[in-house]
Amino acid sequence: MTDHDDIDMLAAEFVLGTLGADERAEIQRRRRADPELDGRILEWERRLAPLGDDIAAVAPGPDLLARIERRIEALDATPVTGEREGKVSQLDAMRRRLRFWRWSTGLASAAALVLAAVLIVPVEPGPSESPFVAVFQQDDQQPAFMLSVDLDSRRLNVRPVTAEPLPDRAYQLWIKDASLGPNPRSVGVLNDDLSLPADALSDFDPELLKRATFGISIEPPGGSPTGQPSGPAIHGYLYPTGQDASAQRL
Amino acid sequence: MSSDRLQDLLQRVTRRDRQAFAELYDATSAKLYGTVLRILKERGRTDDVVQEVYVTIWQKAGQFDDGRASAIAWMASIARHAAIDELRRRPRAPHESDDVLDQTPSDAPGAREHAERDENARRLHACLAELEGNRRDMVRLAYLDGWSRADLAAHFEQPVNTVKTWLHRALKQLKGCLAS
Repeated sequence: MTDHDDIDMLAAEFVLGTLGADERAEIQRRRRADPELDGRILEWERRLAPLGDDIAAVAPGPDLLARIERRIEALDATPVTGEREGKVSQLDAMRRRLRFWRWSTGLASAAALVLAAVLIVPVEPGPSESPFVAVFQQDDQQPAFMLSVDLDSRRLNVRPVTAEPLPDRAYQLWIKDASLGPNPRSVGVLNDDLSLPADALSDFDPELLKRATFGISIEPPGGSPTGQPSGPAIHGYLYPTGQDASAQRL
Repeated sequence: MSSDRLQDLLQRVTRRDRQAFAELYDATSAKLYGTVLRILKERGRTDDVVQEVYVTIWQKAGQFDDGRASAIAWMASIARHAAIDELRRRPRAPHESDDVLDQTPSDAPGAREHAERDENARRLHACLAELEGNRRDMVRLAYLDGWSRADLAAHFEQPVNTVKTWLHRALKQLKGCLAS
């Protein structure tokens, strides 16, 4: 079998849907940089598309469009990088994104309702895009964690500020974005020294990282057994940056 | 709704036209919802996935290329992949998929009639008919119901590697048949 055959069968099985989660994620990542793979995927989509004609149409519930429109309004209110926006509207937008996180994870797990959610914000809004910093805060005290991400290199740095290692418990970092599906996806379980490998976000697009929300939950050792945030959470606070910055509670 | 009409709506969606988006939703949501529901078999999860599918369509309408797919095929592909990704992340409990073959609705005759009018559909169905029965079922169960290699292996009582070989043979045979 030649490499071309391999790629063609990979594309075919991706379209058919028989591959596992990891292989699918890998192909979705790879096709963005591999025109041959992308082209073969599109060919297979075209070949097999008529199979979908056999699917019975089913009307969704009457409230689904309204749900979708609320999501779109929240997304469209988020600041676009490179555009300068007023601090107030930026904060409003971030509050909306936070509500999305809470509401949407609540569908998957009631425990996740209290999951911390923070947003990556530019340290210095303006032409320079990196690094971006998110602050995770616990109770009404000092920040628990800070997460900084260099979008160019997609390297991250998690630093505990006041957070301490917990006996028989682990901290787990989650990322959430529409393109990853409706549920948060684990970025990784923090090491004993509360760090994460710098390349933990390397599979994600910078564009995705910019609009994604992040959360940290407290989980059993080794991470959530369910694949979704299951434990108590650290509440998220957002620190706007700039001259008149003051801590804003979301 | 005609293909041109859907394409026009997608164009307007790239300009953040919410009215066009609502029309696009009305015209396509039953098809997309049916696609996702057939894979996930559960309305709650389907609601969540279809919601994200339309958010993706809103965000990525500008990436639609009419030279590469029809508007409805592009949207259905987003929906099907989102459903399969969700199913792979959180598989159904095993007992749920045991007799899915029996629960799966048979081809809707209306849809089939419509499909028959389309030359590409006619050819694909002719080529599928040439596949050996088990292999044809595998292709349909994977594409329509989201079955993984492992699901197919369990149902057909074959090792996963055998299923992979059968799938590859079936796909190559289909490709050859469609190209002839």
